[in-house]
Amino acid sequence: MTPALARILGFVTLVHGLGLRLDSTWQGTALVVILIGAGLLAWAFAGQAFVSERRER
Amino acid sequence: MEPVCRPGTALTAAAVIGVAVALSLRSLAKVRVDDAASAAGSALIGPRIRVWYRAALEPAEEWLAANGWSPDALTYAQLALSVLAGWAYATACVFLGGCLVMTAGTLDILDGGLARRRGVPGARGALVDSIADRWAEFATFVGLGALYRDGWMLAVVALAAFGSQMVSYVRARAEGLGLAMATGRAQRPERYVLLGFGSVLSGLVGHLTCVATGRPGHGILSACLVVLAAVSVWTAVERASHAAAALGRDGTP
Repeated sequence: MTPALARILGFVTLVHGLGLRLDSTWQGTALVVILIGAGLLAWAFAGQAFVSERRER
Repeated sequence: MEPVCRPGTALTAAAVIGVAVALSLRSLAKVRVDDAASAAGSALIGPRIRVWYRAALEPAEEWLAANGWSPDALTYAQLALSVLAGWAYATACVFLGGCLVMTAGTLDILDGGLARRRGVPGARGALVDSIADRWAEFATFVGLGALYRDGWMLAVVALAAFGSQMVSYVRARAEGLGLAMATGRAQRPERYVLLGFGSVLSGLVGHLTCVATGRPGHGILSACLVVLAAVSVWTAVERASHAAAALGRDGTP
């Protein structure tokens, strides 16, 4: 998975998790989805930084 | 389910979406639009946004193509998400419904792009896609109908549903008679954006203001549905009159 794809998936997952948290009674599920989304976004930005650093070297 | 006010979560969601919009606007400014793309643009969503969105989805399209995903799988996933969106609206989960509508719309764009990338665009895929799209719209509007079942907005939802189906029907009928028909203000992407963004905004504003009002309202979604109904019916009538004019009195294109 590339950082660009992880960024898209992370954003989509995070927003859907926030939607679950906002509207539904499935608060536990919402928290898990939010954490997955945030994790994907963190991985995407860390991965992007790693790729940029390697290119500079 | 008794509605609960969650202004803190709404603020977090607004911040996440705000950052994403700010980053998108930065990359949108760098987009170059050629003449072909300019011709494809409609009144509500310009060619620049279409080109930018396609470019933003390219990593997903590449990954799907590399891993052997078929366009039909995306079509069915889009249908499943639309059914979920209908369920979300029926249970008053407006923000979630909007997110699901926009994700379903994105999959609708991706399946065509994936078919072209894999070199498998064909009559069968187009047929499955069109039929799935109509069912998807039906499922979403049934959910909206359930949300507004006790008021006059139910008539607006019914009109929006009818208008949306007519926009596609008039195009299909005209193309069956040999006419090209891709004009109009409320094509599918415009309808997705209007309903999706309207729902997301409505959900956020509803939760932010419900500290004062006592329960999350859906005023913005109602306004968007009125606009959607008007623009869809207008587009269907506009297309029908263009088609009738193009056919002429003797019925030949």
